[in-house]
Formats: sequence, structure tokens, C-alpha cells
Amino acid sequence: MRANLYHRVVVLLLMAVLGLPVAATLLYSLSSRWGATILPDGLTLSWYLTLWQDPRFLAAFGNSLAICIGTLVLGTVLIVPAAFVVFYRFPSLAKWMNLLILIPFAVPPVVSSVGLLQLYADGPLAMVGTPWILVGCYFTVALPFMYRALANTLGTMNLHDLMDAAHLLGASTGRAFLLVILPNLKKSLMASLFLSFSFLLGEFVFANILVGTRHETLQVYLYSIRQTSGHFTSAVVLSYFAFTLALTWLAARLGKSDRGA
Amino acid sequence: MSVVTVSNFAKRYGSSTIFTDISFTLRSGEFVTLLGPSGCGKSTLLRCISGLTGVDQGTISVDGSDITHTAPQKRGIGMVFQSYALFPNMTAAQNIAFGLKMQKLTAAEIADKVAAVVKLVELDGREQQYPHQLSGGQRQRVALARALVVEPRILLLDEPLSALDARIRKTLREQIRDIQRRLGLTTIFVTHDQEEALTLSDRIFVMNQGRVEQEGSAETVYTQPATEFVARFMGSYNLLTAAQSQSLLGITPRGHLTLRPEAMELLTSPETDTLPAVIKSHQLLGNVIRYQVDCQGVALSVDCLNRSAEALLADGAAVFLRIARDTLREVQ
Amino acid sequence: MSTSPPAASVWRRHWQAALFLLPMLVVLALFCLAPLWWVAVHSLYGEDGWVGLDHYREILSSAFYLQAFSNSLSISLWSSILGLLLSLVAAASLRRVPGRFRDLVVAFVNMTSNLTGVPLAFAFIIIVGANGALTLLLRQAGLLQDFYLYSSSGLILLYTYFQIPLGVLLLYPAFDALDDDWQDAAALLGARLWQYWLRVALPVLTPAILGTFILLFANAMGAYTSAYALTTGNYNLVTIRIGSLVAGNVFLDPNMAAALSVLLVLLMVLVTAVNQWLLKRSYHAR
Repeated sequence: MRANLYHRVVVLLLMAVLGLPVAATLLYSLSSRWGATILPDGLTLSWYLTLWQDPRFLAAFGNSLAICIGTLVLGTVLIVPAAFVVFYRFPSLAKWMNLLILIPFAVPPVVSSVGLLQLYADGPLAMVGTPWILVGCYFTVALPFMYRALANTLGTMNLHDLMDAAHLLGASTGRAFLLVILPNLKKSLMASLFLSFSFLLGEFVFANILVGTRHETLQVYLYSIRQTSGHFTSAVVLSYFAFTLALTWLAARLGKSDRGA
Repeated sequence: MSVVTVSNFAKRYGSSTIFTDISFTLRSGEFVTLLGPSGCGKSTLLRCISGLTGVDQGTISVDGSDITHTAPQKRGIGMVFQSYALFPNMTAAQNIAFGLKMQKLTAAEIADKVAAVVKLVELDGREQQYPHQLSGGQRQRVALARALVVEPRILLLDEPLSALDARIRKTLREQIRDIQRRLGLTTIFVTHDQEEALTLSDRIFVMNQGRVEQEGSAETVYTQPATEFVARFMGSYNLLTAAQSQSLLGITPRGHLTLRPEAMELLTSPETDTLPAVIKSHQLLGNVIRYQVDCQGVALSVDCLNRSAEALLADGAAVFLRIARDTLREVQ
Repeated sequence: MSTSPPAASVWRRHWQAALFLLPMLVVLALFCLAPLWWVAVHSLYGEDGWVGLDHYREILSSAFYLQAFSNSLSISLWSSILGLLLSLVAAASLRRVPGRFRDLVVAFVNMTSNLTGVPLAFAFIIIVGANGALTLLLRQAGLLQDFYLYSSSGLILLYTYFQIPLGVLLLYPAFDALDDDWQDAAALLGARLWQYWLRVALPVLTPAILGTFILLFANAMGAYTSAYALTTGNYNLVTIRIGSLVAGNVFLDPNMAAALSVLLVLLMVLVTAVNQWLLKRSYHAR
């Protein structure tokens, strides 16, 4: 009994510590003034009203959404068939893929942006300052997560038996993939997409160094308004938190129903 | 060499009772089996005896001294877990030595004792291997050695053979019984396998829903089941309801009538005191053939010795059934 | 399974299938491998051509750059160790709370693991900045003399904060490897709780602990945003130096940035190698 109490207290402390910044930001975004006192002077929704009428914020938010969705569409189109092909035709490649996808995961974005900035500043692939370079970079950021999620499912689904059964029943390889394999990958794919979406939305390094204010994303906008009212930035932060929360919640739900199946 | 007395043991989790009113005394050096289906409370009872789980009521004493409130490690108990619970980061020898290390014995003493017990369980040459490098049977013996080396007063075995395949299980259970006899260890063995219980035990406690249904020697429990549950659980007993008993045998029992399959005979021609029956199907069980017969609307299993292929009765054949009436028993 | 045919023939037979791999590899090459290659090569060039190891010599003899490395290292090490210890305690307890509550906590931790970068830095300014609520509270209670968020201890606090959710999420599944019977077996054999942890649980968890440590450390070494947003690029870290050499507004030297990048990556490789060596020496089943 005493041990149980201890474990509960530890877990509650963990939640309190992790939740503190969110709670403080929430309070700050709702307070009319919070100067050199411990608690704010009054509460208001005006920061949110201002925010959601600010065209610059809405534009940055729209840019972020467009870039993230574009990246994930590209990722799905390229990674799903590739992962399937690796597991179905070239299983000996699987361990090399595991190493390959470690590279974008391990290399700090600030390092690759040094090279990216020089390679694509001009010439045939002049992309610096455009959202295109972000779509490419974000693809490499999402790749390890998406590929791993797909690989985990492919590795446990008896891929060859399923394909053989579909072939014997008269399906071509392409149809078998679309009708049998893809539906089984859907849940892990969706979960990895939501996960990727939520952390791509928070990406700052590539966006700031490679594109900056030329095509402002949410995080760059947030950074650039740091000098304005803290209440206002808090409202931005919290709107973003709420959005991420909804996404991770969706991802968790999908992940859970995946386990249950 | 210890006498163990458990009296009035009871355990509840929330509103559900795991077991109640358990009392027994184990003689020194006795091998006792707690037998029952999963969920009957036998494993929890074992954990309560070990002290790993507390009881809500009742006392336990060893050699006359009450250990109800003694910490598990001070009870002098050796236990083999169903999962073996071998520490995966230690070799076989390190696993066995663990308890001795906790007692702060010298390295030389530990080495001697480990060597002796390794010899006892026939693990020579495996001392330096890790659990994942050992076979199931070897792991089981490491677990046994680890429990034995601290010279416990009571040995508890929680389904120690259930994870092994049939053949190893047979040799190992004989080995366990042999070691137990040699050391004269008072032992409590938990299993759901009635064959295991019958071959190993001095005494069997058949448990059902947290109560002891029957207690007795292997022979008694097998040939004289006290309740319908025990009769069903002990094997292939035919159980006749009162109405069936009345129509077949002209007896009206208060509960059920048990009829062992080997206590019947199938004849090809009628004799006195036989009943006409029809063979429905048959099953070959090695030296025994088990026939499913229909005798006046009652389905019965009948075991016959498998003498020769010619003697086999065909499905659909009309036969005559003789029942050894002296083996019939009434159960509640 | 039959014996697999030689690799070359697999490729010849399934060349059409191999085409599906190509687009993914091309994008990966363009946006990840090519820039790395550029960085490695151009760290050896200056504005007027080949300079060999000059940039590296300059870095190693510059107090300013060396300070950046030592700051990065110490903040990463401290935040990883603190984050690891706290997540270890939290993960051990998380395993012992009822299932539904646990699921909720895991979901919550998962969510907070996404709260990094600029928003996190702002949240920290609100709570523990110069006029932050917690700073004022602790100052009034007399518990705090001179905590300054925009210093190394402030950064360690911030980094530790974002390491905890990561550590918990990485360590928590590893605790499933601990069999409850081990604790019972150890107890029956006379071990106290701390002896069980020292001799059985921690050795079994060591691979997971080392693996988590290296991820936390690499995460901290490569982190840029939190420190940049908190100190507007004024704290001397390797990543901040690299960023300012390619995208600052005073003085640009991409080749020097490349050399710093190579050293940063080498340092991470070195720590990973040490970690792998420790991992090999530790217990590992199967």
C-alpha cells in the first residue's frame, strides 16, 4: 500500500512538472496584465481575438499547414511503396534501410542546413527561400518515423503468405498490394502521419535558416513577434499547443486501436 | 525436515474471495500437491505460504513457531516459480549463488555449496552459461538448485514443469521427487495436471473455487472421488445422474454415480447382468481402446485392453455391457 | 525457406520493383546526404580554394570556439544525466500505477514531448524568467538568490525539461522486460529492495539506459532552437555558432561552419562509440 502511494505521487509529480509550462502559458494568454506579481491582475480573451484576426498569423499558420501536409503527402507516396518493396522483394536490404534512415535522424538540422544553404542557393535547384526546400527537408525528418512505423507492421504481418494467397486467388501484385497490404498498413501509417505532423509543425531550424521571413511559417512568426506582448505570444503558443494536442491525441487513438486489432 | 501447519487461511481481493478456511498440517518430509484448475486459488495459496502475499486471516507455523508475520526471506522457504524467474544477467552459477551471497557467506563456502548442488541437479558443465543459453529443462534445474542451495525448511514448487514439453517433464518430475526424498524436504507442489499429481504426491489437496474439495492419498483421490467436481477433474469418469442410474442400474443415488471406464466390459453375446449397447466411435490410446457407447440413451466411455486388431469392435456394432457394480460410487 | 538466391539475380529479376525505391532515395540524397557531403568536403576549403585543415586548426586554437564546445558538452551531459535519472524514477513508478491512469499519463507525456523549441522557451520565460511567476514565488520564499534563466544553469533546466518526456517514453517500455517474479525470487533469497535493484533490475535495464542516454545526449548536442529562442542566439553553443556563421547578420563563413559541423558530428560519433563499447560490456540477453 505504501509502495502504491509512492508510485502515484511520483507519477503525479511528473505530470505536474511537465504540465506546468502549459498551464503557465495558458494563464498568461488569458490574463490582461501579469507584471511583477505571482498571479495575473485580470482575465481576458482579447489576446485570442486579436490573434485570430491577425492576417500575418493566419498566413503563417496557413503556410505551415500547407508545407506539412505537402510533406506528408510526398512522404506517403514515396515511402509506402518503398517500404513494401524492401520487405517483399529485397528483405536483405532491410538492415541497410535501418541504417540509412538513422542518418537524417542523427544529423542535427543545423548541420545539414549549412550544406543545403550553399547547394540550393542558386543553379538549377535554387530553392532557398521557397517552401520547396522545406518540403524536401521535412521529408527527411519524417522519413525515419514513417518508415519505422511501416516496417514494424510489415515485419509482423506475414507479408509473403498474404501476397501468395492473394496471387493464388487471382490478384496481380499491384492489386494485391492495394487491396490486401495497404489496408493493413493504414493504421500505423495514419498514426505516424499524425505524429510527424505534430513535430513538423514545431520545426524551427530549417524554417528559420533556409527560408526565414520570406515564406513565414508558424514557428518563425512566433519567434519574430517575441518583442511584442508576452500575452499575445502566449496566445499563439497555446493555440499551437491545442492543435498539437488534438493531433497527438488522434495519433494515440489510432495507435491504440492498432494494438487492439 | 519441518512440520508445517496452516490454519484458517483466507484471502480476498476486494470483494472476490480467492480462498477461505484452508487448514492442513504437513508432516516432515511430506510431498503434498495442491491440484486444481487455473483460478482455483492454489497459486495464491502458495504465495501466501511463502509470505510474498499477505493473508487476511489465519496463521501458519513451521515446527511450532508462528511465522504468519515473518518476512518472506526469513521463513526459510525455497521456491521455484512457474517462469523460473532466473536473473537473466547472471550465469547459472551466479543465479544459484545469489541467495548465499545475500547471506554474506565467504567465496569459498559459496563455491563449495554451489558445486555440490550443481552436482545434485546434474548441471555439471553448464555453470557459466546464461539462462538464455540453457534449454527449458536446464533452466528449470537451475531454478531448483537456486531454491535448494540455501537449505530451505520448506520447498514450494509453483507449476515448475508446465513450461516444458511432455518427455522432459516426465524425467524431470522423477528427478525432483528423487531429490526431495533424498533431502527429506517438506514440499508443496502446485499443478493443474492430475497425472503429475498422482505420480508424485504423498498427499493431494484437490482445490476448487478457493476451497479444498478433497484431501487424501493419490489412490484415494483417484479411486474414491468425494465430489462430482473431483470425479470430473481426475479424469475420464462417467458420471450418471440419478435418473440415468435408475434406468440403467436400478439404483437411485442422492447425487451422481461415478463409473470408471475401466470398470466395464464389452461382450459380444449377452450374459446375465449385461445391458445391450451400441458402439458409437472409438479412440486408440496406446494399450487401451476407449469406446464411446450408447447404452439405452446414456453415453458412456468404456476402456478395453488393446489385445489384438481382431478383437477391435467396429463402430455401429451391437454389444453387451457388463458393469462392475462394486466400483460404483455415489458423489455429491 | 529455401536458400536465398545470389543478390545480383534478385536485383535483375525484380528491377521494376527496385524502381519504387528510387524516388525515396533521390529525395533523401538531395536533402540529407548531399548537404552532408558538401559539409565534409567544404570544411577543407576556404573562399580562395583548398586550405586543408586550417579551419580545424583555427577552431582548436580559438578560445571562443572551444568555449562553444565545452558549453555544448557540459549542458548536454548534465541535462542528459539529470533527464535520465528523473525519467528512470518516473518510468519505474509509471509501471506500478493502474492501467487506465497509466495510459492517460503516457498520452500526456507523449503530448509534452512535442513541446519544444520556441514555444517552450517562451513558456520558460513566463515561469522562470526574470519576472516569471515561479522566480518571484521562490524569491519571496527566500529560496532563490540569483537564478538567471539566460545562463548555463537556465539552459540545463530547459534542456532537462525537454529530455524528461523523451526519456520516459524511451525507458518505459524497457521496464516491461522486468519480470515481477524476479523481485519475489530475490526477496525469498534474502535480497532487500535496493539489492534487487542493484544486482538484477539495473543490470537488466542497462542496455536500455545506455541507449536512452545516447539519444538524449545527441538530442541535446544537436539542439538549437530552445537555446536560440531563449537567449536570442547570445549563448555560446556549437549549434548557435554554426547557425550564425551561415545565417547570421554580421559575418558569414560557411566553410568554417562546415568545419564546426564536422567536429560536432565527430564528437557525437565518439560518444556513441564509447556508449556502444559500454553496451557491449554490459549484460545483453538474446
